Amino acid sequence: MIDIQDLKKSAWIAIDKRSDWLIDVAKTVLQNPEPGFFEIKTSKYVSKKLEELGITHDSGIALTGLKGYLEGAASGPTVAVIGELDSLRVQGHAHSDPETNAAHACGHHCQLGMMLGVAVGLLATGVLEALSGKVALMALPAEEFIDVEHRYGLHKSGEIEFMSGKQEFIRLGAFDDVDMAMMSHTSLSSEGKFAIGGTSNGHVVKYIKFLGKAAHAGGAPHNGVNALQASIVALNALNSKRETLRNEDTIRLHGIMTSGGVSVSSVPAEVKYEGRVRGGSTEAINDANEKMDRCLKAGALAVGGQVEIVTLPGYMPLINNSNMMDLFSKNASQIVGSDHVRRNPDHLNRGGSTDMGDLSQIIPVIHPYTGAATGAGHGIDYLIDDYTQAVVNPAKAMCATIIELLSNDAQKASQTMADFRPNLSVEGYVAIQRSRLKEEVYTGI
Amino acid sequence: MNVDDVKNLVCAEIDSNADRLIAVAKEILQNPEPGFQEFKTAKTVAREFSSIGIPFEQGIGITGVKGTIVGSDSNGPNVAVMGELDSLKVLGHPHADSSTSAAHACGHHCQIAMMLGVAMALQAPGVLETLSGKISLMAVPAEEYIDVEYRDNLRREGKIEFLGGKPEFVRHGHLDDVDLAMMTHTSASPESGKISYGGTNNGLVAKSIKFTGIASHAGGAPHMGVNALNAAMIAMSAIHAQRETYRDQDTIRIHPIITRGGVAVSSVPADVRMETYVRGASIEAFLSASEKVDRALRAGALAVGGSVTITTLPGYLPITSSDSMLSLYVENAGSLVGKENLNKLSHRTGSTDMGDISQLMPVIHPYVEAASGQGHGIDYLVQDYDLGVLTGSKAMAMTVVDLLSDGGRKGKTISDGYKPPLTKSEYLALLRGMMREEIYTE
Repeated sequence: MIDIQDLKKSAWIAIDKRSDWLIDVAKTVLQNPEPGFFEIKTSKYVSKKLEELGITHDSGIALTGLKGYLEGAASGPTVAVIGELDSLRVQGHAHSDPETNAAHACGHHCQLGMMLGVAVGLLATGVLEALSGKVALMALPAEEFIDVEHRYGLHKSGEIEFMSGKQEFIRLGAFDDVDMAMMSHTSLSSEGKFAIGGTSNGHVVKYIKFLGKAAHAGGAPHNGVNALQASIVALNALNSKRETLRNEDTIRLHGIMTSGGVSVSSVPAEVKYEGRVRGGSTEAINDANEKMDRCLKAGALAVGGQVEIVTLPGYMPLINNSNMMDLFSKNASQIVGSDHVRRNPDHLNRGGSTDMGDLSQIIPVIHPYTGAATGAGHGIDYLIDDYTQAVVNPAKAMCATIIELLSNDAQKASQTMADFRPNLSVEGYVAIQRSRLKEEVYTGI
Repeated sequence: MNVDDVKNLVCAEIDSNADRLIAVAKEILQNPEPGFQEFKTAKTVAREFSSIGIPFEQGIGITGVKGTIVGSDSNGPNVAVMGELDSLKVLGHPHADSSTSAAHACGHHCQIAMMLGVAMALQAPGVLETLSGKISLMAVPAEEYIDVEYRDNLRREGKIEFLGGKPEFVRHGHLDDVDLAMMTHTSASPESGKISYGGTNNGLVAKSIKFTGIASHAGGAPHMGVNALNAAMIAMSAIHAQRETYRDQDTIRIHPIITRGGVAVSSVPADVRMETYVRGASIEAFLSASEKVDRALRAGALAVGGSVTITTLPGYLPITSSDSMLSLYVENAGSLVGKENLNKLSHRTGSTDMGDISQLMPVIHPYVEAASGQGHGIDYLVQDYDLGVLTGSKAMAMTVVDLLSDGGRKGKTISDGYKPPLTKSEYLALLRGMMREEIYTE
């Protein structure tokens, strides 16, 4: 019988050998940030790297996504390793694209290095031969739910239906053959080397247009209807509602104004706002979303204008699979020491959201964090300060976890699947997400 | 005896009663009572009417008093000379009632003395024989449109229909036989001279507003509550957001107060009350602004998921003074204080129910610049009682003499030549049409 520990060691040695290559992948992506569904260069680059490893793959899934396989000697379950292709937009980030403000202020560039690192480990001599099943290597677009107007346009034109990468992959059936999935996200070094467990907020996404009537702002303001004032009344109203939100629901109401008028001398007649309603449960999100809608309408009512409210299906709360977490923790501990691996309580909610949450409703997933950055997540100072911890160590931990899952006739993977009770089927998921999309026009009189 | 001789007589009579008139003003100053509660002040007026032998009615519009003097015959017109009984409420005014905050921070106490001065002057021997027609001496309640919730309750109890004294006088028919009306207000712009006249004022509607939410523990279960105070705050923000839409010439003024903002800091406020005026230079302007305010109030309720009850009450109408009456008044006032000390006003953004009277008949509403400080402020004090009571009284008495001498010729000419914007029935219908109660729930 093959010693699993030996297999893992072979994989880790292979990953260590190519650590410079993997870190270079991350840094190259860092220098070429592209926001979601725009990851053309990033997708090509990762495709080339997969080719260098001899991994055949499909491309152009959900516009820019990639999916390839490494197959074990025997048949068995399929485990996916996911890296996210997209950057954020953060004006003034040290590595931002000066034209688009695109910037890897959330560390996704490291995820692609990790995903390739897992492949490198699995390709080490003797590893795949010992595995029963397949490993899907996936690079997914658009985890950051931004550019709402643009993506809503892609939706309208039929290029995508859902507005994030994993949502689209699920809809397109790209996860149909995947039995479980994992990815690792970077977090701050100050939070320790590895943290696993806990949940995330779900959300709905708002695309709002306040409509008024243009008029000369100096000469005839009485003939105008000011859409900007409508939005300010609405946002003030929304702020006053914060006291009604329960702490345990971890509601986050936030947004950006993407158009606030076009000429200072003309009463603003169209104001656009992209917003987010996040919360720990569907009920809490729905409740907060109703409050937001009421406030948006109140703004329109106050000035006698209109508001168009588009509510887009966002993400679902994350559920980390406990069997997979146990395996990941054990392997991470072997790499960095158990003192440096934290297990978060299940209810711990970081406040943010991820479309890995959507996937977690359907198949077992883990979404651990690897502490390798400084600064504020999504801020101008979010920088990776430890690329070994950002790329190499999580690749090793995930690779070892896969080896444990799929070795010995994939006993642990099979057990994980047997223990798992999905909240949703793929069809159920798609139906629910479709039902969450709402368009409403309210006229204030 | 020519008209100038008569005018000299009336002025001399006022001077000979100077101490008594000023004492009446100061007595009222020391006993301030807000509108529809001027019981002591009305008694003072009744006492003075009795002592100079003028027959009067009382209890008109709860506290109003009306005395009548008849000239040598009743062929001439009926001129009303008005004084306002009520005080404001101004917390911290040096003459404020310590329990009610009632304070004469608008000088109405002088108006009553001026009106009594006219009464005494016309009673001087030899004067009435030269006059034709009637003089109605009116002590009118409630010019300051305050205590809206209190007065609205009086309205609901059927004690009043309108919330100002002069509209109530009109409703009760006390202006039916009146042809011309005048009163003099004190003011505090001495730099503009001694007497100011003419000009226009804003009209208004008043609103009594109740936001209703759901009470809940503000710490323990704010998510179970609906915050009526937040609804009011949002509504106020929304009112402010629309200020840019008002035309300068409409001189819109909207200035709410919150009269109840919750009862316990640890309980989500479920009942919040607001009062506001919506003022403007024309009826159309303030009614249009009133709609914008209503929209903003509904928006507050909509935002929190509560309800709002908006009671809109007719307020006062814009005032326009009669030019022909003013030209008589200006001659008289000029002879008293010097023409160089007269000041013609343009538009003032406050409001007065004398505006309502001006929709029905020729009126004047001049100001004697006898005070210092801010009108309606804690420092509004009448400094010059000679000007504030005696001169103001003389100028009106002399003008009455002009109007009613010579068989009341000038008074009749002015009255006959005046095209009132509204008849009494149109006026009452307009006011009743402004009255509206709306309950808005999402």
